[in-house]
Amino acid sequence: MITSRRAFLKTAALSGASLVVVFDGKGLLGAEKKNTAKKDTAKKETTGKGVTERFKPNGWVRIDDDGTVTLTIGKSEMGQGVRTSLAMILADELEADWARVKLVQALPGPDFKRLGTGGSFSLGGSWKPLRQAAAAAREMLITAAAARWKVDRAACTAANGAVLHAASKRELKYEALVADAAKVPVPADPPLKEASNFRLIGKPTKRLEGRAIVSGAARFGIDTKVPGILYASIERPPWRGAKPKLSQDAKALAIRGVRLVPCAEGGIAVVAETTWAALKGRAALAVQWGDPPKGAFDSEAHFKRLDDASEQKGFVTRKDEPPAGTRPAVRTIYASYFYPFHAHAPVETMNCLADVREDRCVIWAPTQAPNSLQEEVAKFLGTTPEKVEVNVTLMGGGFGRRLAVDYALEAVEISRAVKAPVQVLWTRADDTRHGHFQAASAHRLSAGLDSTDTLVAWRHTKAGSPHNLKLPDPAAVRDAGFYQDLSWGVYDMPYAIPSVETAYVTVDLPVKHGPWRAVFAPSSVFAREAFLDEVAKVRGVDPLAFRLELLTGPDTVKAGSLTIDRPRLRRVLETVRDKSGWGATLAARHGRGVACSIYDGETHVAYVVDVAVDNAGKVRVERVVAAVDCGLVVNPIGVEQQIEGGIIWGISSTLLGEITFRGGAAQQATYADYGVARMRDTPLIEVHIIPSQATQPFGMGEPPVPPVAPAIVNAIFAATGTRIRRLPVRPDDLKA
Amino acid sequence: MSEIRITINGEKRVVNVDDDTPLVWVLRDTLALTGTKFGCGMGVCGSCTILENGKAVRSCQVPASAAKGRTFVTIEGLSKDASHPCQRAWLEEDVAQCGFCQPGMILTACGLLRQHPDPTDEQIDTALSDAVCRCGTYPRMRKAIRRAAAALRTQKKP
Repeated sequence: MITSRRAFLKTAALSGASLVVVFDGKGLLGAEKKNTAKKDTAKKETTGKGVTERFKPNGWVRIDDDGTVTLTIGKSEMGQGVRTSLAMILADELEADWARVKLVQALPGPDFKRLGTGGSFSLGGSWKPLRQAAAAAREMLITAAAARWKVDRAACTAANGAVLHAASKRELKYEALVADAAKVPVPADPPLKEASNFRLIGKPTKRLEGRAIVSGAARFGIDTKVPGILYASIERPPWRGAKPKLSQDAKALAIRGVRLVPCAEGGIAVVAETTWAALKGRAALAVQWGDPPKGAFDSEAHFKRLDDASEQKGFVTRKDEPPAGTRPAVRTIYASYFYPFHAHAPVETMNCLADVREDRCVIWAPTQAPNSLQEEVAKFLGTTPEKVEVNVTLMGGGFGRRLAVDYALEAVEISRAVKAPVQVLWTRADDTRHGHFQAASAHRLSAGLDSTDTLVAWRHTKAGSPHNLKLPDPAAVRDAGFYQDLSWGVYDMPYAIPSVETAYVTVDLPVKHGPWRAVFAPSSVFAREAFLDEVAKVRGVDPLAFRLELLTGPDTVKAGSLTIDRPRLRRVLETVRDKSGWGATLAARHGRGVACSIYDGETHVAYVVDVAVDNAGKVRVERVVAAVDCGLVVNPIGVEQQIEGGIIWGISSTLLGEITFRGGAAQQATYADYGVARMRDTPLIEVHIIPSQATQPFGMGEPPVPPVAPAIVNAIFAATGTRIRRLPVRPDDLKA
Repeated sequence: MSEIRITINGEKRVVNVDDDTPLVWVLRDTLALTGTKFGCGMGVCGSCTILENGKAVRSCQVPASAAKGRTFVTIEGLSKDASHPCQRAWLEEDVAQCGFCQPGMILTACGLLRQHPDPTDEQIDTALSDAVCRCGTYPRMRKAIRRAAAALRTQKKP
């Protein structure tokens, strides 16, 4: 299944691997329509405290007569701070009192048909619909107050949870207007606030879950408990089609409470009353899987295939013919770059609790794709989605892995078999070995220089693999758009070069692979930005000045459906140049590197990275100066956190870890052999957020990742003179 | 299966579990104290860190039989109202992203600060580098540890 940003909006039925999907206008109206009927907008509820009234003009906003403002969050929180930033957008437009705001997580169903979190699309996609929903509520409250006071509604304003009539200095709290506002028709096109009137948007705002997190009260998927819960650990075949050769069933069954349940794809679930008994039972089972077949997947052999494929012509994703009068290239530089396999490795391993009953199924899942999960489970159980309740928990990291629903289907399958609520918990080794990996790729690049050493031609062919978590859609048109969606960072190359040709070659990849933080961009931007440094070196020019020189010409250019905005990219580069002391002389085996990228035509990021390489070849990233232009900033703290986290992620994948395969199986199992950055690997990080005149925010979860790797290898080159073209960096290549 | 008496967060608890049950599962499954997280089960990630006499301990590495009669503090018992200087510092520096590893990180920091009230960067690196935060909150954690250290030192002054 292909992860197409543009397809997301069109894809109503979200399937496993697609990221997706915002409440576009339709989703919102759907929610509104259902709730605009009077019986829905005002509801008397009998509670322990007596009868309460509430105002609920749409699916996103509800105000109770005790003043509580309940905002619905349709995105999954996995550390990107989306619950806080979406609440800020709603509360600001609503003019709610931030202290009275309470959040509820949307349940997939008729009101919320397109929940899904991915593609760094939450803020950009939610911005307008959420503001419209909140503005509608605010306008209804103003109308109700004006009617109560019998004054012109234009003379009334809303602020901080109340409607004011300045002329008479009267004020009515929202809670006092709940019953009246509910009788006001929902405005179709409410006015939105001017940016200059934002009270919360743009203000550094602390994460709403902060206190729950530091006190241990925050509930993640793994923390869900229900009466009668059983726990399951699954022994899965190490390669597709593997069959157990030997299995000590009797020994496993001798452990108290242990039951064995066969699973789809050849796995064996060990179910018990405690997690520990399940884990012990699984160890006692001591399954031996036999020998892998000849020709089983091997990552080294795969790199060879990728390398060969990158020499093919492939599908052309961009072709800029040189304008008449362009001088021909008199020399051409070639290089091949390789990007490895990676796991997502969130600290909370995959898990899900499912309770399958005769007539319905309730699920608690840390998931990025609630609707897709609901649909897949319904299909699996042969029922309809309404019979499947999906509760979205907090997630201990997502990074794209939790767009897949494999772990939820496992829990459902086992719960159905044992007729009890079952929590499936993956061990660290399960999580590392049975990932939906970031697929390896090879990049063949060439650059043509004319007789004056001007860069006149650019070629970049990516050999890679589209996600395979779903069977390819036979109806999908294999056009330029299709291949461009696999080529982020390749076809949208931002530099002004007269002749450009980019292409994509598909290489089959039998292991499961899917979206990983920044999806298809990290490998492409690594290759592009590192190779550009090679060209700068050949020309003998400063790599940062070279980039700026290549960002002249027309301010905007089209690449596929994207518009490349060169002045914005120039500005982030100029910022890191000025803030980093670029150009200074550094100590021996110290180096400074630069890289930049535009993520999906939206968020612009540039880094200057300082590294030190010791005599044993070990690289330490000492400092990173970052500049980011992500459009209108909703929460500056969130932006900084994502830059910091994206840099640490990039350090992990550039210097520390890779997944390799032998005999069809991933060879790594833990954080000990799949290295991730720790405190000691953490550089000083300085983040500069570019003030933007943009009228909407863009995503921040993924854009910080792609330029990290090339900035590091460019710095390594500056420090050592060694050009790294395959990741992760190997100290052996950098010994003094 | 044995009856095991332990003190958790100041409360005496009696649990019936298999002797080899790692403490992390006693806490999570038996006592429903889910603030202590499972991340790897082999002492590599630090998510299950708890305190014993102020010292950070990996609860996945302590079998129930060895925990007998001992006294531990989990994140739920660090303070009643998130008021411990480490918790406050974590909130002030906005450390958490997903938050999953943070209870373990906070308790690891508590252990460090007990041993080194004014830790050097190197001591912070050493104490914290046995733990994994995949979101990469390390820069803020470092600031929070410094802030908590300062607060604890002020607190201790007569």
